[in-house]
Amino acid sequence: MIDIKNVGMKFNLGVEKDNSLKMTFIRLFDRKKRIKKSDFWALKDVSFHVDRGDVVGLIGSNGAGKSTLLKVVSGVLKPTEGSVEVGGAISPMIELGAGFDGDLTARENIFLNGAILGYSKEFLLEKFDEIVEFSELRDFLDVPVKNFSSGMVAKLAFSISTVVDPEILIVDEILSVGDIKFQEKSKNKMMSMIKGGTTVLYVSHSLESIKELCNKVVWLDKGKIVKIGDPIEVCNEYYDKQLKGKS
Amino acid sequence: MKFFKNIYYNIIKYKFLLSQLVIRDFKIKYKRSVLGVLWSLLYPLLMMAVMALVFSHMFKFSMEGVNYLVYLMSGLVVFNYFSEATNSAMTSITGNSSLINKVYIPKYIFPVAKCLFVGINFVLSLIPLLLIILISGDAAAGTKCYINIYYLLLPFIYVCMFMFTLGVSYILSTIAVFLRDMIYIWGILLTILNYFTPIFYSITILPTWLQNIFKFNPLYLYINATREIVLFSRMPSPLYLLACFLSGFIVMIIGMAVFRKKQNKFIYYL
Repeated sequence: MIDIKNVGMKFNLGVEKDNSLKMTFIRLFDRKKRIKKSDFWALKDVSFHVDRGDVVGLIGSNGAGKSTLLKVVSGVLKPTEGSVEVGGAISPMIELGAGFDGDLTARENIFLNGAILGYSKEFLLEKFDEIVEFSELRDFLDVPVKNFSSGMVAKLAFSISTVVDPEILIVDEILSVGDIKFQEKSKNKMMSMIKGGTTVLYVSHSLESIKELCNKVVWLDKGKIVKIGDPIEVCNEYYDKQLKGKS
Repeated sequence: MKFFKNIYYNIIKYKFLLSQLVIRDFKIKYKRSVLGVLWSLLYPLLMMAVMALVFSHMFKFSMEGVNYLVYLMSGLVVFNYFSEATNSAMTSITGNSSLINKVYIPKYIFPVAKCLFVGINFVLSLIPLLLIILISGDAAAGTKCYINIYYLLLPFIYVCMFMFTLGVSYILSTIAVFLRDMIYIWGILLTILNYFTPIFYSITILPTWLQNIFKFNPLYLYINATREIVLFSRMPSPLYLLACFLSGFIVMIIGMAVFRKKQNKFIYYL
């Protein structure tokens, strides 16, 4: 389903800040001023395979490359080396509400965000009520999203991205969305999708939910795979290692 | 051939997203104003009124046997479209960086969306132009303009204009990602282009060698073709129309190629 082979992702941390004309000129004439290339490998030699129906958890400390890996799989980033093969339609939930426009109302945003996620107009018209129902925001449909609380935004975004039954679902730390009631609801929704055979890539810092949901765990550290395997085993080892590192 | 086939399939696939992006821009533009969409008609009309006042009454520009008002406006709508569309399309990639960073969307859709959005305003601004054509001019002085069969060629000319604008937009939006200064540089270049395109003056007041250079300006091609039809009720020669098409088409292809080549690098600079 997803085949990740020797993927490496290089970032050029130095280039970021001065792509202005002045610096370009200075660099042209002054070799010393050229930024020393500080290559940063966010991912290095990452390979693993995900089968249909797998629920794969990604764990690792901040900056380990988890989100980068998700971006590579979803096509936002092109890997510097190696290859990623994805067989199926992806629904990315990398960051909820990325496609919202604050000036538009919730109703308008459902269509805009749906279009960004690749839904068709007919599909959205058909599922509109379902989305609104799930988000519990019927009373706020015609309010501009900028007046929403962050929890409300997240609820709306979650409802839009899970209204499809995607073949592959990419989830980055979102089950902590909204109030307790909504958390429970979104978890159930995830569970039912998993039962329905959706392949899931799931990033979370909550080892509990990883153990509960996943059947395979990939532990990343500094862009490299430390261990792949059974959730409970890998999570426990990870937990021990993390705490030892601290003391 | 495969290249065009891909484009075709992508247009079908992302048609809805494209329409949503255009609608978003349109809604946001008028969201807080009292007159709303009416501004799309009012704004060009008032701008035209100001320009007409300045050029025909203050500076006393005029042309023998030509309806100067129509002459000015037919050039102005084209140039305004080009300048507005390129300006907003240039920042379409950098402006949508948060989106591009998080979800996979074909990036080429953003400049198209901007060019189309400004295109709606352009089409609306043709309404005041049509009004001016109908009411201005003096039949006795031979400056009255008439609607004629060649008006059917106008959509073709405007499609050429659109392709040219899109091509330039692709190049600009690519450059702007790597070099933000382009936003300011382009502002200046547009001002220069404004004076180097015969909008409020006639090309015949220039020395011949300069005229020949000016004729390579694609914007002048579109403006001139429009004027042939609107002012003189003449059909532009087929060769001229071909030049319109080729200039637009070639620039569009070049723009697409530049954009395609660089688009995978965008994300490191956003």
